[in-house]
Amino acid sequence: MEKAVEFVKINKHFPGAHVLKDVSFSVYAGEVHALLGENGAGKSTLLNILHGVYAEYEGEVLLHGKKVSFKGPNDAIVNGKISKVHQETLVVKDLTVGQNVTLGYEPRKGVFVDYAKMNKDVDEILGQLNCKFKSSDLVSELTAGEMQMLAIARALYHHSNIISLDEPTASLTMKETEALFEVIQKLKKAGVTILYVSHRLEEIFQICDRATILRDGEYIETITVAESTREDLIHSMVGRSVAAVASRLKPSPMTDEVVLSVDKLSGDKFSEVSFELHKGEILGFFGLVGAGRTEVMRTIIGADDKISGKIHLNGKEIPRIWNTKKALNAGIGLLPEDRKTQGFMNLSMNYENVAISSLEKYMKGPFVNTKKKIVNAKHYFEEMDVHPRRVDYLTKNMSGGNQQKVILARWMSTDVDIIIFDEPTKGVDVAAKAEIYRLMEQLVEEGKSLIVVSSELPEAMGISDRMLIMCEGKITAELSKKIDFNEDSILNYAIGGI
Amino acid sequence: MKNIWIKNKRELVVLFATIVMACVFTALNATFFTYNNFLTILQQMVLNGILAVGMMVTIITGGIDLSVGCTFAITGITVASCTVNGMNPVLAILVGLVIGAVLGFFNGFLVTNMKLQPFIATLGTMSLYRGIAYVVTGGLPVTSVPDSYRNIFNGKMIGGIRYYIIVMIVVFVIAYILLAKTRTGDYLYAIGGNEEAAKLSGVNVNKTKYVAYIFCSVCAAIAGMVMLASLGSAEATAGSGYETNAIAAAAIGGTRMAGGKGTALGTFIGALMLAVLKVGMVVINVDSFWQFVVTGIIIIVASYFEFVQQDIEKFMVRRKTA
Repeated sequence: MEKAVEFVKINKHFPGAHVLKDVSFSVYAGEVHALLGENGAGKSTLLNILHGVYAEYEGEVLLHGKKVSFKGPNDAIVNGKISKVHQETLVVKDLTVGQNVTLGYEPRKGVFVDYAKMNKDVDEILGQLNCKFKSSDLVSELTAGEMQMLAIARALYHHSNIISLDEPTASLTMKETEALFEVIQKLKKAGVTILYVSHRLEEIFQICDRATILRDGEYIETITVAESTREDLIHSMVGRSVAAVASRLKPSPMTDEVVLSVDKLSGDKFSEVSFELHKGEILGFFGLVGAGRTEVMRTIIGADDKISGKIHLNGKEIPRIWNTKKALNAGIGLLPEDRKTQGFMNLSMNYENVAISSLEKYMKGPFVNTKKKIVNAKHYFEEMDVHPRRVDYLTKNMSGGNQQKVILARWMSTDVDIIIFDEPTKGVDVAAKAEIYRLMEQLVEEGKSLIVVSSELPEAMGISDRMLIMCEGKITAELSKKIDFNEDSILNYAIGGI
Repeated sequence: MKNIWIKNKRELVVLFATIVMACVFTALNATFFTYNNFLTILQQMVLNGILAVGMMVTIITGGIDLSVGCTFAITGITVASCTVNGMNPVLAILVGLVIGAVLGFFNGFLVTNMKLQPFIATLGTMSLYRGIAYVVTGGLPVTSVPDSYRNIFNGKMIGGIRYYIIVMIVVFVIAYILLAKTRTGDYLYAIGGNEEAAKLSGVNVNKTKYVAYIFCSVCAAIAGMVMLASLGSAEATAGSGYETNAIAAAAIGGTRMAGGKGTALGTFIGALMLAVLKVGMVVINVDSFWQFVVTGIIIIVASYFEFVQQDIEKFMVRRKTA
């Protein structure tokens, strides 16, 4: 078989770290090849080398048997016919689809852009991808899934025959994911080679032919997906056995005491939401992306304004003027969905990011004491096994799972007894996922109450004591016993069926 | 020692550049390096320094306050009228501080409750406050401010140091404590680093921004009262264009324009550098027009230095690991 990509003894150093160690493997032309590994295993670095983002490395990259070295990502796209579809798609929202697809390489007529040709060419590509939107539509009107398609259209516009997809389904709905998979199959038939990175193992089994596993910057093995099991993959990614799905070691010490009750709460994207949270339970909130769960949670903690309805915390109604500071003082906090834009301060070090919600604990007289902050952060880093154990690193440089632990440490440092997790394991690797589940169990054991918003059904089913299902801004079902959790009926509720 | 270097790298580099500049001026004209000239430099930096440290606090939150020069003028006019009409000077100073706080409160209201962009909001109040100053005075200066007021700031202590230099130092120390030692300081940096994350962490973003804009305007009011004391008169045109110098001092001192970064010490050194430049050019008899050219070059070089510094660091680390 022809080799589309060949990595030969790739080594890459970052200041103080050897992130890729002698990595060699090849990808056949026309296959869907998964790149697997935990956060920090070196997958992104490898892709960045392939796509010309990093020009400095040791070793060789061969495309179709020829050694290449690109000057930058654009050089790779135009001359190497190799494109990357980013996790968070990079688009200019105020331009049209056609302008985005052709950005920088617009068809021209003299000095002017030839918009007629642009729209014709782009519409043709969009047709191949079964897209419902047109070249002349504004990007700001597209959904996350459609933007993903736009990025693929851009790759095809440049006649790419190798396309990397980095966590393409992270923010897609189920339908959009299916549509994406159909497109991937179609591209494969057309002879395009796909490199696929995802933490969702089900997807690997659905669409990938082979998978290469990296661990701590080292090449572990390349396997044929059809001949392996989930457990095999996890074992070689982590180097030991880890529970493959979210599961509970013991039931929650649930009581009848109601700590949070929400009564007919309505906001911008949801209406008449009512539910109760009991002390010591894990309440799951399942639904498709865009069901309004995040908005409900943001309203409860005072980040967004409510339109109507009542919220009671520990039996007391919240005051008319409600904000995140008051919510924190009343004992409720939120771990947001998107760590990068909502979770941590990107100029701050880990210990500062841990301390920001509990500054009154680090006072020495009238002043905040940095040493006390550091001692506190070190304590939680030890307890939660954060890697690297450096409280003086910038949080933005930590891996996804460890960033999540930093933010969890922030809330554990406060005295809140209700913690809301919004997509707690988004972009987090298997081992760190298992640790986050363990920490959740430990928290309810200590008498705290948790709400977990999740779009991953196995996770929601595995971790929750009780589950609420939302669809289009309304609660469509409550499943109060674990034995009632049934995949088919839950999905049915989530898409609005009865 | 190494720790001090790591923590205050930017400040020390700007200080070093300032010292080099002073050496050059001294080599060209020995009178530059005299005690009296040293005092002149300090006096020269007082107004810009006080304005800059307040400006820096708003910039740290990711905002800016373009109205400082106008707050400066309004305060000067009001305090002048009060003292001329026989008000107790200490009471007049209190009135000045309250005016600063009120004008700052209004800026804070616009950027928090009204959700306006700080640049646009304070561009608006800049014109608004200046307009008020003109309307109130009818464009005429308020003159013959009594010495009882002027001496509070203008008076000299041992060594010929005027009291307003002490005032400036106190303002800087307060800013240092606010930023480095209090919870509000942590919140200010957090908001500049990532406002949404700060909000979701339980930081009262609006309240903290009010603190920033009020602090900034109170600084502007103090500067306005110092100016009044040294001139003995106030007019509506006072302080126009001062906001740009204040931003320049903060920027040279390492304040990040997008927010989240900046120190009182850095801004002090930034203002000092501009004052050394200004006085130095006079001492070596260069046409004062050149001062603008050199100031511009310094701002650009200082901003560019941020990038160069990162490259140097990367290079050092690579050499260490290799």
